[in-house]
Amino acid sequence: MRKIPIIAKILGSLLCVTILSGCWDQKETEELAYVTVVGLDKDEENENMVKVTYVIANPEVGSLAEGGGGGGEPPLETISFSASDFITSRSLANTVISKEITYDVLRNIMVSEDFARDKDFIRWMYDITKEMEIRRDINLFVTKEDPSAFVQNNQPKMDTGPHKYYELIFNRGQDTGTIPPSEVGQFFRITEADADLFLGIYGTTEKSDNYKRDRDPDQFMAGELNYEGQTNTTQFAGSAVFKEGKMIDTLTIEETRLSYLLSTTMKQPEALLVALPDPFHEEYEVATKIYREKDIQINVNLKRDKPSIHATVPIKMSILTNHGMTNLAKYRDNREKLKKAFEETLNKEFEEFIKKTQEEYGSEPFGWSLAARKKFRTIPEFEEFDWMKTYPEMDVSIDTQIDLENFGRQTDLPKMKEVRD
Amino acid sequence: MMKRLFMKSKKKQISPKTDHEQGVDPDFDVTLEQFKKAYFYPVNTDFTVRNLHIGGINKRAAIVFINTITDIQVINEFAIDPLIKNQEQNILIEDIITIQSMETKNTINDATLDINNGNAALIIEGESKVYILNASNFEGRSVEKPDNESVVKGPKEAFNEKVFTNISLVRKRIRDKNLIVESSIISKRSKNMVYMLYLKDIANEKLLDNVRERVNALDTDAIQNLSLLEQYIEERKYSIFPSVLYTERPDRAVSFLEDGYIVLLMENSPDCLVLPATFWSFFHSAEDHYLRFPYGNFTRILRMLSFFITIFTSAIYVAVVTYHIGMIPPDLLLAIAATREKVPFPALVEIVLMEIAFELIREAGLRVPTPIGPTIGIVGALILGQAAVQANLVSPIVVIVVALGGLSSFAVGDISMNFTVRLIRFLFIFAAGLFGIYGMTAVFVMGMFYMVSLKSFGVPYLSPLTPSYQSSKDTLFRRAIPKEALRPGYLKPKDIKKR
Repeated sequence: MRKIPIIAKILGSLLCVTILSGCWDQKETEELAYVTVVGLDKDEENENMVKVTYVIANPEVGSLAEGGGGGGEPPLETISFSASDFITSRSLANTVISKEITYDVLRNIMVSEDFARDKDFIRWMYDITKEMEIRRDINLFVTKEDPSAFVQNNQPKMDTGPHKYYELIFNRGQDTGTIPPSEVGQFFRITEADADLFLGIYGTTEKSDNYKRDRDPDQFMAGELNYEGQTNTTQFAGSAVFKEGKMIDTLTIEETRLSYLLSTTMKQPEALLVALPDPFHEEYEVATKIYREKDIQINVNLKRDKPSIHATVPIKMSILTNHGMTNLAKYRDNREKLKKAFEETLNKEFEEFIKKTQEEYGSEPFGWSLAARKKFRTIPEFEEFDWMKTYPEMDVSIDTQIDLENFGRQTDLPKMKEVRD
Repeated sequence: MMKRLFMKSKKKQISPKTDHEQGVDPDFDVTLEQFKKAYFYPVNTDFTVRNLHIGGINKRAAIVFINTITDIQVINEFAIDPLIKNQEQNILIEDIITIQSMETKNTINDATLDINNGNAALIIEGESKVYILNASNFEGRSVEKPDNESVVKGPKEAFNEKVFTNISLVRKRIRDKNLIVESSIISKRSKNMVYMLYLKDIANEKLLDNVRERVNALDTDAIQNLSLLEQYIEERKYSIFPSVLYTERPDRAVSFLEDGYIVLLMENSPDCLVLPATFWSFFHSAEDHYLRFPYGNFTRILRMLSFFITIFTSAIYVAVVTYHIGMIPPDLLLAIAATREKVPFPALVEIVLMEIAFELIREAGLRVPTPIGPTIGIVGALILGQAAVQANLVSPIVVIVVALGGLSSFAVGDISMNFTVRLIRFLFIFAAGLFGIYGMTAVFVMGMFYMVSLKSFGVPYLSPLTPSYQSSKDTLFRRAIPKEALRPGYLKPKDIKKR
């Protein structure tokens, strides 16, 4: 028998290794249906079933590539049906959808308010942790209506690609502080820590009838902004409050922004545009741009009989409008007065909101339990302390520290008397 | 059988005596006949015998030479003419001939060696030695611009096929008595000569001995030029990485010489070999140092980038598109999916198809006769790129990926390293196609292991980076010229300080 050269043996075995161990079950990109949004809703008839809604992006839309084409195709396909969970629903969907369903580009998970308020909601949510393809940084948002209705009503005129639309509107909403950052990973973390509240994005395509004209524009939630024009009917504003993995309430835009400013964990928005009452003229309001540059400082005192929290909120502020025409740039006294008045206004708002969280929710969405956790040597000791039980009883005091930055491009305003002369 | 013929230098010959070694017979006719026989005269048409009679001393003589490689005018003017016109009776032959350099040889074999090198042999009646008149004149190009290693800033001379021109180009740059030009014959039949250049007071003796030993250990009939010699003396003949640097720039060769490297030159080679070579010497180009510090380093960054782009772009595309679609932003993924919608092949096949097409264009473009060269470019770019996309054979993104990789590969100037990079690319593509990023990582790690294990004439391939040596740290980046004060420590030079 001829001896096989050693190099041939090595090459042969290498070939075997590659052929035997290569990943031959992989799918090419064009053979997959990309689900960008999954919607979950209660099944009316069977409580062990869930109504799954898929929004599948059509890759060919918006692509001018020569090889692509598909000019007249719609940008997305939606499908809603009942399944035992949203993992097995993937194969079920293939009775209608021609390609394999993949969650690789899944960026948003949408649940109906009805479903989110259900006590069993958390059981379905934990399916996310089982599925390999789903990332933890996807957005969780709550819709007022049924997701299947939501996706049918949601018709963005310009950003037709579904993945793009949600990405853009959520990023912008988080920059302006109208909606909270709402990652599924955070949802699990907060739920498992069993101390704080989780804030989810709140949205709807239905116009609410409780819109009141005299209300402060920041006091509304999704669906309550009254607008006209030829555009999408979907609104994302405010937050859905989750306690122990179950939705308990909604927050308005203003409350969401207050949560941002008080939070130790949320990524701060670029800037919040807020109108505050003018301390010099009661009839006017001063539009301001505020943002928190540094971290909020939290002092938790557990030594006393009644535990207390003292939070210092450093805020940078620019004045955008000044209808009272008070000269702020020139006179230090005016500035001091303005600063003090604003600090008081904000303190009041903070304290009111904190009171609401203490009384209504029994916990807070600011991540303050993490600051308190430092005071304990072991996690069991902290769990013994039971944040959710003690927080409503705590003395909370807020100290807002405003740092005025600038007063607009033209700092000096003409005297009203001279203009009206 | 003649054993290894080995010469230390032209003058000092240490060759074992064999039966064929014939002394020069004092009998003029016998000697002349021996020469004629050796060269198959008159069958061999360019072997010339010029019989003459020396005036004054009254002796018969003959000049034999090969007229195609000898300067006939020099022989005529400085040898034949004075010999015939001589009137004095007591005069030495050396005093009659006015040629600039001549020597004597005692054996026919030695003399034929010189005749083969273009010199003429003068046979004198009654003398048992032959006079060798230096009059060689090989045809060849003049000094021209480098073709493959062109620079914008810096000298534009290149080596040519005449070795003496090449040595002169080196000597022009190092006017130092310590520059040694050693020569030795390395092939038995063609008697090819190799010239080993080094600086006596810098180059390490052990390294010199190593190179000498390897060059002289060759047992072959002919080695035509340095490109072939390179393959004889390199350590790992099957390795994908080159271990001897090949450059056509005398300025580059000289800068290596000054650092303590050894340079090999050969007749018929428009280039030189630099030993030992590290990875960095292939990575660098002559211009890196001619350009000012920031500009030079900028080109270094570009080159490193193009290195990685060439090796990885196609592979990353294959890996990401087939296995890691979660890694790329949805926008890009959907764009890729859209372009691939109508392509019938898997991503791996698509990429390999285009890579092969690109390699074909390159190879064909190189071999194509110059007049139809531009046509190939048009055919390659238009037919293969545009039409393949329109016919839905490949997706446009693949054309971009492959073209980017192909273009970047040209930034790696050294021809050997260029091939290395191009071949490694395929390895990575297949690894990516079979195992995704995991496979690429495995191949990369194995490749790093292999590179670290390589040695070129005893010098680790990645030195001075790893293992670390004292040096000017001219690796990925270079330092300001005055700070490059050390010669590379891995060469163990006799004098490490440059400045």
